[in-house]
Amino acid sequence: MEASTVLQSLISGLTLGCIYAALGLGLYVVYGVTRVLNFAQGEFVMLGGMITVSLCAWGVPLFPSIFLAVFVVSVTGAILYRFIIHPARNASGSVLAFLTVGFAFAVEGLTLLVWGWEYRSLTNFLGSSSIHLWGATIFGQAPWVVGMTILMVAGLYYFFGHTMLGRALRACADEPLGARTVGISPERMGLLAFVIAAALGAVAGATITPLTMTAYNVGIPLTIKGLLAAFVGGMHRAEGVIVGGLLLGLTEALSAGLMPGGYHDAIALTILLIVFLVRPRGLLPAHANIE
Amino acid sequence: MRRLSRLSVLILLAVVLAILPAGCAQDKTPDAYRIGVIASQTGPYSALGLPAIDGARLVADQINAAGGIHGKPVELLFYDDKGSSTETALAAQKAIEVDKVVAVACISATGLSHSMIAVVNDNEIPGLIMSGTGLVDSTLGKWAFKPTSSEKDYIPLPLGYLTDDLGLNSCAGLIENSGYGEGGEHYLKLIAPGAGVNMVTYQHFDPGATDMTPQLANIKASGAASIFIWGSGPAGALAVKQAREMGIMVPIVTTPAQNSPSYYGSFGTYYEMAPSLVCLDSKLTMWAQLPDSDTDKEMCREFDESFVAKYGRAPGMWDAIGAQFVMFIADGIDRANPDLSDIIKARGHVRDAFETTTNLSLFMGTHTMTPTDHYGRVVHKEVLVTFKNGEKILVKTMEQ
Repeated sequence: MEASTVLQSLISGLTLGCIYAALGLGLYVVYGVTRVLNFAQGEFVMLGGMITVSLCAWGVPLFPSIFLAVFVVSVTGAILYRFIIHPARNASGSVLAFLTVGFAFAVEGLTLLVWGWEYRSLTNFLGSSSIHLWGATIFGQAPWVVGMTILMVAGLYYFFGHTMLGRALRACADEPLGARTVGISPERMGLLAFVIAAALGAVAGATITPLTMTAYNVGIPLTIKGLLAAFVGGMHRAEGVIVGGLLLGLTEALSAGLMPGGYHDAIALTILLIVFLVRPRGLLPAHANIE
Repeated sequence: MRRLSRLSVLILLAVVLAILPAGCAQDKTPDAYRIGVIASQTGPYSALGLPAIDGARLVADQINAAGGIHGKPVELLFYDDKGSSTETALAAQKAIEVDKVVAVACISATGLSHSMIAVVNDNEIPGLIMSGTGLVDSTLGKWAFKPTSSEKDYIPLPLGYLTDDLGLNSCAGLIENSGYGEGGEHYLKLIAPGAGVNMVTYQHFDPGATDMTPQLANIKASGAASIFIWGSGPAGALAVKQAREMGIMVPIVTTPAQNSPSYYGSFGTYYEMAPSLVCLDSKLTMWAQLPDSDTDKEMCREFDESFVAKYGRAPGMWDAIGAQFVMFIADGIDRANPDLSDIIKARGHVRDAFETTTNLSLFMGTHTMTPTDHYGRVVHKEVLVTFKNGEKILVKTMEQ
């Protein structure tokens, strides 16, 4: 086994892990505040990528395109909460999760109608090119993906720890009834959680598209990866989601590089299943909600 | 107890009355040849299924515009396999039992279409399957037919290009984990040694993979002088981009899926990097560059122009596959001229006609079926293409 292959697998795993962690963070925000497993998170990512690609194709510069995509996808997140989740807020968690599944399929269908079935991609941000290091390659877009995930984590920490709105969200996550008695509306906080998750998804979608391409049907597989990252690491803590995402990415990449014969997804999932069986509450179980 | 019995009788009567009109309605002779078309409208293979549906629909429209077959129109009923073998089989059951189609065509990914072989044989309905592997050619049974291409026939074309045109004798296989990839690896192992190509390593990727760099690092370390990417989805196109970004500049040949215009549109820069990518393709997409002496050129031109007029885009290989499945079925129905008042007998007559198909020229090949050969491709029509200045360029055909 060449050292360069091991290094390449580690770089690949780190990049994939950041993508999965970014997906998981959106799921974590919604689940932490509303206790809803949002199966439409991957659709936010897909929409973010598709809208950014289209705007760039029409000549809009990259970063304004991403900003506009975040706005449109955030509105989509608000629609999901206000018109689907909120009216059914007294239903069980599984019913609400199924409603998000339905929404995901509806978004997928509409995207197919609007954009067609073709795959689309973006060029690397600011034309950044690959870096070759000890026989391995870091793609030009990879630092953007890693940087995006770090910024997301830092942003969420600052938001939940140092802003009034973030603290209000935490209060709703910890004790919805108590939050209501001090004047915080859990409904508004739920709406905010979906908007934040959608915005995070849109940023992730735009950032990963140069690496992964995007199409109308990539959302559900992305959601599954994000859920796996969140479940394995621990759904109740951002650190858990990050650890879960990195573990999933590294397992996939190392099995692809070091184990011959293929079926790397199956190998990675089996390893993660074992982790899940040993630590059913995730690698980093909750000590408190949203922190 | 007596009350319960009366209730049971009433329910039974209600059920019988509900069923009777439906049964009577089905006794009426259909006024169209109903054909079930199962394809991926959603799911991971929809980039293959949706264009196939466009191709199938165009041929049916053309047949109906010309007066149908023996005065009856062709009616295509589309079913979504959702990228799942189970959904494929369920869709086939619905087409056969509920919609009473005379024949069924499964234009899905290779692995999915294999689930149809047992279904059509068990239900005794003529069925076409879109399997890209020759591994199933001898297992089609009495009712399944495969009027498309098998890799064993076209593998010699890219391998010959590597050895004869480029003078290379070593290659690495980067193979998709799927039924299509399994067949590709099987036949590469069989055919490559005889073609003078040493396959130094086989690496594998999952169909939904987005990062093939670990496998490409292994290929780089293997010292292979070329790469054969074998896949049916976007991962193969990503692998081309990633190989070039990693500085792996050896010649790359690929299966047809990688020449999809959407991949080329996204990764044209990487496709054109010297030595530019070489893909398998069909004559249909390259008809304008075929010599006038090519007997398929006129058929391809007519279809291409009709397709552009209807859909506003040029047809690709999967459009051609969808089209030729309907062409094959229409040819069989035309020769069988089945009486649709008895759908069971009609299906049998159509099956018999499929089995006597002789020198039927389609976009991907010419087929002559026999009782022992339900693949029956007697002329292979693949071509090799490369990419330059935003255009696809014909490299060579099977005849060259």
